[in-house]
Amino acid sequence: MTTMPKNCEAPTFRVVHPLYDEPEEKLNPEALGPMPMTRSVRYALLALRVYLILMLALAAYRVLEMAGLFGALSH
Amino acid sequence: MLKSFIRLPEWIWPTEKGQVVRSPFGRRLLTFLMVFGPGLIVMEADNDAGAVSTYTQAGAQYGLHLLWLLLLLLPITYFVQEMVVRLGIATGQGHAAMIYRRFGKWWGRFSLFDLQLVNFLTLVTEFAAIALALGQLGVPVYLSVPTFAFGVIMMVLTGSYLRWERITVGLCLLDAIWLGFAFIAHPRVGEVALNAVVPNLPQGGMSPDLVFLIIAVVGTTIAPWQLFFQQSCVADKRLRFSDLNFSRLDTFLGATFTILVAGAMMIVGSILYRNGLSYDDPAQMAGALVAFGGNTLKYGVLLLMVNAAVLGTTAISLASSWAYAEVMGWSHSLQKPVREAPGFYAVYVIAVAAAAGIVMIPNAPLQLIIVGVQVLAGLMLPSAIIFLQLLLNDEALLGKKFVNKSWNNWINWTVIIVLFALSAVLAVQVLIGNALPG
Repeated sequence: MTTMPKNCEAPTFRVVHPLYDEPEEKLNPEALGPMPMTRSVRYALLALRVYLILMLALAAYRVLEMAGLFGALSH
Repeated sequence: MLKSFIRLPEWIWPTEKGQVVRSPFGRRLLTFLMVFGPGLIVMEADNDAGAVSTYTQAGAQYGLHLLWLLLLLLPITYFVQEMVVRLGIATGQGHAAMIYRRFGKWWGRFSLFDLQLVNFLTLVTEFAAIALALGQLGVPVYLSVPTFAFGVIMMVLTGSYLRWERITVGLCLLDAIWLGFAFIAHPRVGEVALNAVVPNLPQGGMSPDLVFLIIAVVGTTIAPWQLFFQQSCVADKRLRFSDLNFSRLDTFLGATFTILVAGAMMIVGSILYRNGLSYDDPAQMAGALVAFGGNTLKYGVLLLMVNAAVLGTTAISLASSWAYAEVMGWSHSLQKPVREAPGFYAVYVIAVAAAAGIVMIPNAPLQLIIVGVQVLAGLMLPSAIIFLQLLLNDEALLGKKFVNKSWNNWINWTVIIVLFALSAVLAVQVLIGNALPG
């Protein structure tokens, strides 16, 4: 934060490090609760779910393949 | 203590009363120097041990042909981190806490678990790199790994955010030595400039190996932990609304420095490409460089690898401990002594100590861990960025001043789609192998 001291002939500025400055009132999410499910939020989260499910299915397939399950079934 | 003997400048060691300056320019410069730090650290810490390996490998395999990719990643990494800065300054809260509060417990816990897991596995790879590099210098793993783990822990236990930040900024600036090593490689300036600005492919065109390496470079340059780290760091430093533009500048300078260092790593690696040499790991590469730059280059590269791992370790562990403590509602600040934030420091210490312990286990499955890191990072990055983008469009929370403009959204959705596709290809390639057409 910078302040201009009074009663000075030449302008001067006091610069204070953020850690030592007076705390600001920030924007607070506490009072708002969960985000409203607008169409774009819903589609974005749906896309994310589909992506995660596909990736987890792929990982599961890989683990089963490494365990030799598919080889055992084909025999 | 030092301050009482020597009068340090206010921007190096600030005091509660601040400093009086006489010109508007002096005020802006001093304010910037006070704000400077999180942007450089988050960017340069991403040039960690894995990044050293990836960038030098890119140079050793393809010469200077992928330099353009780094220049392309500069605006992308800046735009992603700028959003984090805006969110952190506006709310004064970390990324994990924001996801938890705005998207509910399920997504909050998912993000936290995913972050902790991928961060921990990355930490193991950082300590593996320390063991590998110092092993080349004759230091046994039982000495090198515990010593560095202790040092990295002590960096944060002083109860002073500023002390940690100044040490870490110093370590980041040490990476400028890579630029000197790039000159030792004697690259042709015209060739470097041309490859940096004109996208081109090496001989053989777009092979599966090249696609995989391009994805690895992108994944190395933009990592999920960076989002969590910088937002928490900005909040811990208590940056003010009026600091936003200086914090953006810090982030931009950090991104530019990081890309320059990454380019220098690629140029160093290209020495081996020009001479038709190959290697198995970066420590072995350092040994091969003796013929071209003497022991200075060899030892320098090994020590810079250790520096990269230390930077990665402190930043990634902090991203984990800030995120965990925020979600748990614990006190979480580097400015607090251990007795006032025990849970926060405990997460940091446990993560570092456990990762170091795993590396010291004989025949630990390090290769499996490295593959796990790649897959999990691939899974994590799109989800973390989607939450970020949704939060930055949350006008109810941020108001018109901090919310994304439409041009922000066009850029960000493009970046997200590209990252989604690349992360998916990486994960599929690692999981199935041969997924890319050969």
